[in-house]
Amino acid sequence: MENGIEISGKSTKQYIVVKIGSEQYGLDISYIDNIVRMQTITRVPKVQTYFKGIINLRGEVVPVMSIRLKMLLADDQFTDASRIIILKIEEQGTIGIIVDEVKEVVELAMDDIDRPAQKSKLDKNSFIFGVGKHGDELISLFDINAVVDEPDNA
Amino acid sequence: MDVSQYLEIFIDETNEHLQNLSDCIMVLEKEPDNKDTINEIFRAAHSLKGMAGTMGFKRMQHLTHDMENVFQEVRSDKISVNSKMIDLLFECLDALDKYLENVKETSNEGTEDNEAIIKELNDFIAQASGETPAPVSEPAKEEKQPDSSKEEEDREKKFLKVELDEVEKTAIKSAEEAGSKIYGFTVYIHQDCLLKAARAFLVFKAVEEFGEIIIYRPSSRDIEDEKFELDFTFFLASAEDLEKIIPGTLAVSEIDVVLAEEVKSSDFNKKEETAVSAEAAPAPKEQEPAKKAAPAAANAGKKQAANKPVTSRTVRVDIEKLDALMNQVSELIIAKNSLVSISATEGGNFESQLFHEQIEYLERITTSLHESVMKVRMVPIESVVNKFPRMIRDLSRKLNKSMELYMSGEDTELDRTVVDQIGDPLQHLLRNSADHGLESSEIRTQRGKPAKGSIYLNAFQEGNNVIIEVSDDGNGIDTDAVREKAIERGVITSDQADGMSQKEIINLLFMPSFSMAKKITDISGRGVGLDVVRSNIEALGGDVEVSSKLGEGSKFTVRLPLTLAIIQALMVEIRDEKYAIALGSIQNIEDIPVNEIRFVEAKEVIHLRGLVIPIIRLDKILEMEPLEKEPESLTVVVVKKGDNYAGLVVDNLIGQQEIVIKSLGKFIKANKIISGATILGDGEMALILDVNTLF
Repeated sequence: MENGIEISGKSTKQYIVVKIGSEQYGLDISYIDNIVRMQTITRVPKVQTYFKGIINLRGEVVPVMSIRLKMLLADDQFTDASRIIILKIEEQGTIGIIVDEVKEVVELAMDDIDRPAQKSKLDKNSFIFGVGKHGDELISLFDINAVVDEPDNA
Repeated sequence: MDVSQYLEIFIDETNEHLQNLSDCIMVLEKEPDNKDTINEIFRAAHSLKGMAGTMGFKRMQHLTHDMENVFQEVRSDKISVNSKMIDLLFECLDALDKYLENVKETSNEGTEDNEAIIKELNDFIAQASGETPAPVSEPAKEEKQPDSSKEEEDREKKFLKVELDEVEKTAIKSAEEAGSKIYGFTVYIHQDCLLKAARAFLVFKAVEEFGEIIIYRPSSRDIEDEKFELDFTFFLASAEDLEKIIPGTLAVSEIDVVLAEEVKSSDFNKKEETAVSAEAAPAPKEQEPAKKAAPAAANAGKKQAANKPVTSRTVRVDIEKLDALMNQVSELIIAKNSLVSISATEGGNFESQLFHEQIEYLERITTSLHESVMKVRMVPIESVVNKFPRMIRDLSRKLNKSMELYMSGEDTELDRTVVDQIGDPLQHLLRNSADHGLESSEIRTQRGKPAKGSIYLNAFQEGNNVIIEVSDDGNGIDTDAVREKAIERGVITSDQADGMSQKEIINLLFMPSFSMAKKITDISGRGVGLDVVRSNIEALGGDVEVSSKLGEGSKFTVRLPLTLAIIQALMVEIRDEKYAIALGSIQNIEDIPVNEIRFVEAKEVIHLRGLVIPIIRLDKILEMEPLEKEPESLTVVVVKKGDNYAGLVVDNLIGQQEIVIKSLGKFIKANKIISGATILGDGEMALILDVNTLF
């Protein structure tokens, strides 16, 4: 697969496609450290509401965030398909986000990505930087920094 | 020469020398005639010059060279120490500090020539010698001569005192009979020499070109193993003249002095009978070469006179390596904890006595391993606080108040990372005391206090904490003034103010942008002060408290954790969640029947051995559902902070455990009450409660 990138010459990026509710979202693979199954999340009192708590990831403490709650969607329903995606962000460290299901890895060229016409349409609770077309499916692409960014009023 | 690899050592050592200089100059200011101190300063300046020269920092070298010259004059009593000179010397130190800062940041000393300072230094010398500043080095050199000869006297010709056994005497005799002359040598090595054995070897190699060494003192074995101080003695049998042999030995670097003369086997026999002193029979002719040796070594010889203790054997280690080591120890403890929990829970499979013994053994080892690693990371706070006397001196000048800093407990040790960051907050507190705390001398005398104000810095260990107190005998905090100011600034309303205790009002000082200074000086009073102090200290897991008595002074108490990584903790259960409370802050644990709970000001308290202790319901604070039916008695963990107590209500006690503190990361904005998390033996996680925030 890595070869594919080089040969194509065009700037393509790989995205992991996840499902949240009925929609498909893409996460830039370069940020992803790991994908783990659902596990016991230890609640941390008195924190931002969308933080579910912390998990023990092989001896490391990793905070886990509900992307659903952060996007003001209904709270998570944990199933066998639920996964925690561990993101590694420079400087700030690791963070886990909960998704309903992990589907596949896709490769998108820049041409395949439609950026929203006007940015102003995005309210502050939107974390999407563009929509990718893969076959006849549409994938909303997360702007990872916006996802993990803490609004100042939090 | 590529010297970059030595840069760190250079920076460290320069720091040490600068600190040393600063301390000495402070002493000198008080005792201008203290010769030891003057010598010490001279030596430090000299070493600095040498190091800067080696590293190619010409400007630093130049400045230290001129400083050295001034001290040379002081040493020879040509100038006396006065306050103007002390000021100038401190200016020099500041300039050197700046060079060092530049070196730290850019590996380069920068381009500031500090000509003004150098000129002033030279003027000083010019005044003293009545000459133009140019031929400054002349008088200095003259001075060196008598100096070195004085030192030479300390150096005895040890070979004259050597006691020989029969075999050795025979060896000398037979060498004599073979037509060789016997020369006794005593060689002094420079005290900073690192490879003494290698120097000795080179000396031997040099003399063995001319003859054979027949006797070693100490033995050749001990010399090889460096089992000798700064000198060694040997006897050489050679047909050559001594004058030919000596230059070869002096060519070896880091050799201070070579003393040598011809001896006769008969001398030794005689000595045994009469036990004459070393000075007894110096053959005048042979002494000549030794004299020649002296001036060459004189420069280095100056250091010899220092009766400084031999430095302890140390290794400089990068703090990152220690961090890595600490992390690994932490992992080990987590692994150990899980073994312990397996052995405790699945008892059926692990009945064997041996297994449990081994587990206990493992526990002991990991605990002491942790202690050792922790100790390695501990450094005395000295490195931070020893710059304060100088600072107070400068402040005293600037504020025109007379004051003195008394420090104690400088040897109190703290984790390196804590020590690195405690400097600024302490500096703030001291400045605060000097500027706001102490009154001017006139007011002090009016109030019947000694005109000179006192500031105290006192450090000591208390349980798992280190306490640093900064106090003064100044005016104390005027709570009425603080209250008015707070109302004026709109921080609190006057209604609120009426209901506040003295302590709460004092705590207002820690609010951001709250300054009591009537006028803004460059010392303090810009409103960035105590709030920064508090947040810095809290970032280190510590806290700061103030107590004050109007008219008598105030005291800031800084409490810091001994270590940041691993603590002993009591594990408790609240509902189905586990929490850890640092053992250090726990006073005792009580079972309190519900009907003993009293109410004071609508708050729950208990009465315990004469103390009224407020009850804190942890479940409420930690946002848990209240129990449907309250049990008849409560398990209360009594915690202590300073003189305050609080009782924490928990559901269950689990036990004592060594826990590894892990940060929650930067994403979670946890309440201050949660200071971190830890991983338990079974992989479960528990949060760590910082009970200090509950007060």
